[in-house]
Formats: sequence, C-alpha cells, structure tokens
Amino acid sequence: MISLLSNPVSQKRWRRFRQSRRGFASACILLLLTLLSIGAELLASNRALIVYYQGHLHFPTYGSVISGREFGLDYDYETNYRDLQTSFAAAPEDNNWLIMPLIPFSPLESDLIAGDFPPHAPSVSSKHYLGTDTSGRDVLARLIYGFRTALLFSVCLLIFNYIVGVAIGCLMGYWGGRFDLFFQRVIEIWSNIPFLYVIMIVASVITPGFWTLLLIMAFFGWTGMTWYMRTAAYKEASRDYVMAARALGASGSRIMFRHILPNSVSTLVTFVPFSVASGITSLTALDYLGFGLPSPTPSWGELLKQGTENMESIWMVGAVVTAMTVILMLVAFIGEAIRDAYDPKQFSYYE
Amino acid sequence: MNKFLSLLIKPILLIALVLLSAAAFAVEHSAQLPDTLPENLNWQTNNKDPIFADPNALRGGRFRSFITSFPLTLRLVGPDSNGSFAGYMRANNLSLVGIHPNTLNPIPELASHWAFGSDGRSIYYRLDPDARWSDGRPVTADDYLFAMEFMRSKYILAPWYNNYYQEIIADLVKYDEHTIGILGAVAKPQDEMLFEYSISPVPAHAHKLDENWVRESNWKIAPNTGPYQISEIRKGKYIEFARKKDWWGNNKQYFKYRYNPDFVRIKLIRDLNIAYQYFRKGELDTFPLIQPRLWHKKAQGRIYDHGYVGKIKFYNDVPQPISGLFLNEDSPPLNDRRVRYALAHSLNIERVINTVLHGDYERLQTAHDGYGDYSNPNIHARPFNIDLANKLLDEAGWDTRNAEGIRTKDGQTLEIRITYYSAAHNDRLVILAQEAQKTGFKLDLQLLDPSAAFKQILENKHQAAWMAWSGGGLSPRYWEFYHSENAHKPQTNNITNTDNPEMDSKIEAYRKATSKTERVALAHELEQLVYEQGSFIPTFKVPYTREAFWRWIKLPAEYGTRTSDSLFSVMGEGLFWIDETDKQLTLEAREHNELLAPINLEDSRWRTP
Repeated sequence: MISLLSNPVSQKRWRRFRQSRRGFASACILLLLTLLSIGAELLASNRALIVYYQGHLHFPTYGSVISGREFGLDYDYETNYRDLQTSFAAAPEDNNWLIMPLIPFSPLESDLIAGDFPPHAPSVSSKHYLGTDTSGRDVLARLIYGFRTALLFSVCLLIFNYIVGVAIGCLMGYWGGRFDLFFQRVIEIWSNIPFLYVIMIVASVITPGFWTLLLIMAFFGWTGMTWYMRTAAYKEASRDYVMAARALGASGSRIMFRHILPNSVSTLVTFVPFSVASGITSLTALDYLGFGLPSPTPSWGELLKQGTENMESIWMVGAVVTAMTVILMLVAFIGEAIRDAYDPKQFSYYE
Repeated sequence: MNKFLSLLIKPILLIALVLLSAAAFAVEHSAQLPDTLPENLNWQTNNKDPIFADPNALRGGRFRSFITSFPLTLRLVGPDSNGSFAGYMRANNLSLVGIHPNTLNPIPELASHWAFGSDGRSIYYRLDPDARWSDGRPVTADDYLFAMEFMRSKYILAPWYNNYYQEIIADLVKYDEHTIGILGAVAKPQDEMLFEYSISPVPAHAHKLDENWVRESNWKIAPNTGPYQISEIRKGKYIEFARKKDWWGNNKQYFKYRYNPDFVRIKLIRDLNIAYQYFRKGELDTFPLIQPRLWHKKAQGRIYDHGYVGKIKFYNDVPQPISGLFLNEDSPPLNDRRVRYALAHSLNIERVINTVLHGDYERLQTAHDGYGDYSNPNIHARPFNIDLANKLLDEAGWDTRNAEGIRTKDGQTLEIRITYYSAAHNDRLVILAQEAQKTGFKLDLQLLDPSAAFKQILENKHQAAWMAWSGGGLSPRYWEFYHSENAHKPQTNNITNTDNPEMDSKIEAYRKATSKTERVALAHELEQLVYEQGSFIPTFKVPYTREAFWRWIKLPAEYGTRTSDSLFSVMGEGLFWIDETDKQLTLEAREHNELLAPINLEDSRWRTP
C-alpha cells in the first residue's frame, strides 16, 4: 500500500488532485465534517462536557449514566444537566460549574417548550438553532447524528460492495471463459431483482437494524462494480507485463494482487465518492419511505418525511435539504477532482 | 380517511375473527322457531322519539369527498370487501331496525314492528311493505330467506359471515310475505337481540350463487335498499353515487330530511396532505381535522379568517375505541403483576397529551368508556408516578441499574418491546420511551407494517402491543378479551393472555345474565378486575369530532347527534345539506377577497364529564 502511494504516478495524481482547488477544498471540508460527526457527542448532547461539583471533576459525555443523586439531586435517573447548569448558576457561592456542548440536546431527546407545541421554530434563546421536529427533538443534533449514521452506513456498504464486486469482477476478467459467462448471466438476473421490494418485504416482517439493512443492500449492490472490474482485469490481463509475469512463473494470486489490482485501482477510486453519495441517498430514501433504520434512530430521511408533511414548519425540510445538497455537492466536487487526477489524457502524449 | 379511522378499520377484522371462535361457544341447545306465528306477540315500534334531522334541509347539489385507496371490489362480503369504501356500500344496505342516535332507542328501518318470543332467544320482525330495492321490487321475507342461504354459502368466501349466520343466528322462518322470525343461538337481553339479529336482506333475483360468484360480482352494482346507488365508476379516479329519485324511505319519519345531496362523488386521493390541498382549493366540501397537527397548524389562513371555510368541534358520546398498551402476560417480565403496574406508572401519557397531541386528546381511564351505564366511572388509569414505579420494581427484584441506567435482575435488563403499526405514533412513543427511562425501563419501539404487526400480535409473539380495537356494540365484551378460554392460543382477542379464574366465572355470569341491572353490576366488577390485572394500560380517547367545511355546507341547528362520529357522513346520518345560492356567493366572495363572518363552532352538549 505504501509503495502504491509513494510511486511517482500516485504522487503526480495527488498533486493534480490538490491543484483542483474546488475538489481539494471540498475534500478538506468533508473530512472535517466527518471528523466532527465522529465526535458528535462533544458537539450535541444532553450530557455536560465537564462538571465541577464539590471539588471533583466529572466527564459524563462518554461512559455510564450518572444518577441525579451524584450531584445532590433528588432522583435516581440520569441527571438533567441543563437543569443542573441553571441550579449551579443560581447558587454561585457553591463554586460548582459545568460546561454544556454547543448544542445541549441529544438527538433522541424531546425538549418540549411549555406553551408551544412542537415543531418549535429555530431560536437562539432556546438553543434550538435549527428548531425542533414534531416530537420536539433538536433538528441540528439529529442532522449531525444522522450524518454520522448515513456516512458510516455508506462507507460500510461501499466496503462490502467493493470486496465482493472487485473479487468477482477480477476473477471474471482474469479467468474468463465459462466462469465469466456464468457470472455474467448470474449478475444480469441478480441486478433485475427489484431491491426495493425485497427491502419492503423484509421490513414488514422484521424491523431492520443497521447491519441487516446493510447486508440486504450489499446483497443487491455488489453487482454494479463487477462490470467495471471485469473490463479492467480483462484489459490488464492481456497486457505484456502480465504475460511477462506469467512467463516468469508468477502465481495467479500474485498477478492478481501485485499487478492487475494496482493497475486498475484508478477505475475503483474514481467510483468511490459517487458510491458514498449513492449510499447516503439510498439510506435517506429508505428512511423517507419508512423502510430504513428503526425509530428513533436519527436519520435524514425521517426528518425529510416529517418536513414534507409539515411544510408550514419550513425549518425541518429546509435544514435537511440544505445539508443533503451540501454533502452531495462536496462529494461531486471531490469526484470530479479525482476523475481529473486520474485522467490519463493529461500525461499521455503520443507523437 | 383520518388517522383515527384507519386505526380502527383493521381491528374490525380481528374482532370478526374472534366472534368466530366465540360462535363455537355459543351453541347451547337447539330449539326451533314455531311453525306458525305465535299468538299474543306484543308488537312494538317507535314513532314517539323526536326526529333528529332538520326540516329546513334543502335537497340537491353534489357532495364531494375522498378516499385514500380505491376499493378492490363492490361486493359487500367476500375477499377484499372490508376496505374503507365498504362503509358507503353498507350504509345503503339497510338493516331491520336502527338506533335513534340521541335516545338510543330502536327505530324502524326495513322492519316497521318487532316483537320478542317468550324463550328469550327468538325475535319477530314485521317488514315495512313500502320497502323497495333500487330496481323497484318490494323487499319481502323471501329476501331474508335468501340472505340466510347466501350468508351460509361457501361460494361467498366469507367464513366470518358463514359462521355468524350459522352459529349466532340459528334459524330464520318466513311466516308471510312481510313477517319473519329469527332464532338466536343463546338467550340475550332484548335490546342486544334486537340489534344483533337486525340483519340485511339479500335480493335473490340479483345473485347467482355458484363458484363464480366472487369473481362475477366484483364490480356488479347490486340492488340496495338505501337512499343512494352507484351511478358511475371511473376506476382509479372516482365513484359517484346518485340519490334515488323516489326512494321508498323519503317520507318515513326518521328518514325524512336526511340524505340531502343529489350526487355524492368519492374521489381517490392517495395522500392526506394532497387531499387537504384539494379541500383548500374548494374541490372537496369537507375535511376531517381530528389530528392535532391538522387542526392547529394546517387549518389556518385566509379561507378560515375570511369565513369561506368553517371549523367545528363537536363532542359526542360513543363507545371509545379500546386504545392503549396491551401487555402479554405470557412474556416475562410482564408475567409479574408488579412490573405491569410499574410500567403503567412509568408511562407519561399526560406529557404526550400536553405536548405532541396539543392537549387535544384525553386520557382514557378504563378499557370500556362510553358505554353509558356499563362503564365504571370509579376506575381511573394509573397515573405517571416515578416513586410508585420505583417501589414496585424494587419489590419485584429489579433493584440494580446498568451503565445506561436501565434496571437489571439476574443479568437480565428490563427491556420491553413495543409493537406498533402506525408511523404517525412515533412521536408519542418516543416521548413515552424517554420518560420511562427515568424509572429504569427500556422500551424498544418496533414499528411494523400493519398486517405483519397483527400477525405477530395474534400469534402472541408480541411483548406489548400498542394498538386500538374499535369500540362498539351496546355493552363491553369481556369474553373475547379476558376469558382464559382464549388465552395462550393464537388468533384470539385475548392478546394479553389473561388467565384468571375469578374473571372467568364473572365473565360467564355476564354472558348468561339477561337483566340489564345484573349485567351492569357484573360489568363494573369485571372492569375492576381488568384494572387489577393491569395487563391493559389505557391511553387516549378522542370524545369529539373536528371538521372543516365550506360555507355552503349547512348543518342542522343542533349540528349533529349524540352518536355523530362525523358530522358530514353523507350516507350515515346524512343530516347536512348544500346551499347552492350560498355556494355562488362564497365563491364570488373568495374571488374578490371579501370578508365574510368567520365560522368557528364548538358544541359540548354531549360532552361527558
């Protein structure tokens, strides 16, 4: 892998990628967003980041529930840190303090404002910067956690799809013959199974969780990659260097992993951003239709559904559509830059 | 049509299923109806109650409403005949007697008189000689004889009807052209008998009963006895009914001034939000607004402020659907009564009502609310109470908590899986689950497609079912829901698997009792036992209907009746009418943006305390 990255061609590609400023900037932003979403608990949570109580520091963000009794409250269930903050502020002589995250709400928590019915409009004073949904859950917190779920989902999906798709595609291209013919037909049939119906049937019998959904989608998603890998492997296998390797007695697996795969990686890499984008959109679509992740998992599709049903509360649909557009745009820009970086036309001059 | 209705439609099927098993229980002895009409029958009728329609009603106009799914058939029985459109078809298929919506006394429909036999099981009806089918033929006793043959026939592919007409209604005899006798399987109080045996005739001349019946009658418009008949069908678009020109009931006391529109067009609009847009444009005449979201957030704006569209909230007094959380006693830890009680004390129903439900729904206190004397007013649902729940759970041995704050016992966590089938209930359950964490319950919300959910529940594979059964009938039903005969087996209504000998004996006494006072006393005792059993946690009731209507739709002075589920049920009560001149005026006013007096009505005459 290291050698793959340090070889001059790869370096050249990297340079070219960086030259495309829009694509590079998009990649940086997306990376930042991803990192932020991984640490979502530090951004949006109903647990305090740090609590200083009677001379002791507590870090409740990760780890187990801290009961209210710990902080001198009269209940056993989890401490309500927002209330605790108010009570600390009311008694400054005790020298207790706590720091809440920027968005002091968890994505699963209904914050119901007395005198108003959810969905609540965005407001800085209530700290619901993008308002709440119909159950009074913070839209921004759900966007962040929903993004994390969607991204994680589509990356896992991509890995599953690529492992199977690349393996079968390569073998088809490399072995050819009956194996190729057989799998071509299998894939043709496979890709004609209506995937949405399968999801609907499964979702009606069990509530699909993260992994079940992933497996179902990977079950039908791997076919797309095979065609490209088959072509790439087919092309590479007939090249002189492969023949040379074979003549030197290299084994099939060596040829595959050391020669064919590294040389067809460009096909693979250009597809990655678009696969991620399609993973996000398909999960959102499934959630929108109600066949996706079970309630109350934060998800963009669910938010979108609530938004379209409550058009008069424009902040819900507005937030999720904007977020969706931004992410898909970033991915498209990155994809474009990668494609340019891998475009052979820029360095192959024939005279 | 509205969420509440759709919630109720499916359970009707379940109840049907279970009556089926109830039927087996019902056959006790096989007496017969006498061959000749008994003498000394005391023929009764009812023409003393006040009429409930408005004599000022105007006939005419086209009423436009909608359905969200197109009917799969026009048959009244057989496969796929129980959809939301069936209500329109059944409304035009009159029974022998009806119920006066305000006094709840029987009123004549197809039968003008009725009399009870001395054995407590037989009832005699005298048919109204004026009654006519839509093709002009008179309704006679032969149509009832055929109804029995028809409903018992295996060709109609309707096992529920097959059984009902075999096991509940034991016999039907024709005494003359306009007199019939019906024998029930068991003795029953008179008013129950009157309505339960009040069957509809089937026109022999319009049906050919053979193995092709189901297929051939799918889209056949069969003769009916009600005020409307289908005049046009555009599949996938709309169905239009026309009022019969000289309907036989036009001048009957309790039919007069009702069913006023000349045409009724039921349009297919698959999405409620889109249907609302149609209504806003004036292409639908009325719109149900029971859902808080619709009433508070959607039903706003110029058409309301300028008085083109009116809103009405009308309290009624009808049996409430049995809606709540049904706990499966066969599924640990819910076999422990203390855990069931603790769960009830952990559900913050009040908070749900006051937040996402906009304070519109009310807490259902008992399983059987709205049954008049039968309802036990002294029982109150267990309130949200963390201390009580904690105490009960500590007693039951769930006294440790894990890192998430969920209670544990012997390595098991206190997790309850809640099966439900309406995504619209997400927000309610989310709040309940969040609040229940305070007492250490973890509620797993399992949203399933309705048919999958019912399958799971009927097979007793659920742990807790969040659902509603349609209320109805004159008195509560306990045998189906709580008798041990129906416990621990699939496909019964006893989804809580209640198995309590004390209840069993009371339920049997209740079923055998024929005097109302005795039954009421037993119902009160049984309701108390249901409460003590704790396997049903009552949630919400909606003791009113809320609707929006365009200004040209006129309601009677009293708006509706005690039992009005909907004020604009065109073929049900059919009390409203369309004022064509007002329609022109309203449309012109809308065009010129003129201001009319806004209409905001509320009526709580029938509100129960």
